[in-house]
Amino acid sequence: MRNRLKLLRVERNWTQEQLGQALGVSRQAVNALETEKHDPSLDLAYRIAALFERPIEDIFDNPHI
Amino acid sequence: MMTLSRQQTPSGRRYVLRTFAFMAPYVAICVAMMTTDAFDGVMGKPAGWVLAAAVSAPVIGQIWATLALMRESDEFVRMVTAKQFIIASGMAMAVATFWGFGESFAGAPHLPAWLIYPLFWAAFGLASPFIRTSN
Repeated sequence: MRNRLKLLRVERNWTQEQLGQALGVSRQAVNALETEKHDPSLDLAYRIAALFERPIEDIFDNPHI
Repeated sequence: MMTLSRQQTPSGRRYVLRTFAFMAPYVAICVAMMTTDAFDGVMGKPAGWVLAAAVSAPVIGQIWATLALMRESDEFVRMVTAKQFIIASGMAMAVATFWGFGESFAGAPHLPAWLIYPLFWAAFGLASPFIRTSN
């Protein structure tokens, strides 16, 4: 799923490890999200949205519209 | 079998330790069986079933270790691990089925059924490097 996760992370000068810790997932999971090798669950998508204080649609492209 | 990514998380490190703990007795029994006559005395006796149970117990333990890894990991690792095991299991079952029918109908030499476990790990090792997405 296309997303702006890497951009948002880099804006905050966070490493993948730091973002993973903030979200409660592994660095591998963050990398997989950024490289579109993993579509997040709704729960994880909401956690990401809450962390960056943005709506989910600002972070992830809706592939159905 | 392990990958670098599994060693980098606490749950991954626990999985590697558990895998070694379960692999060690399995390998020890198999090596002893293949290289010594230590188990010749139990052949055809009830103790043979005890030996069979002893060597299969680590296999069950390994399945528990895998389920524990999935329970303790995040959703990405969980999905990739599930894909790796499903594909490795499928490959091992396909080869075993192929060979079994080969024995029955094509004169292939008999191979012991316990080889399915090392065959599974061979398939896991071959397939895992190519399974890096959850999609």
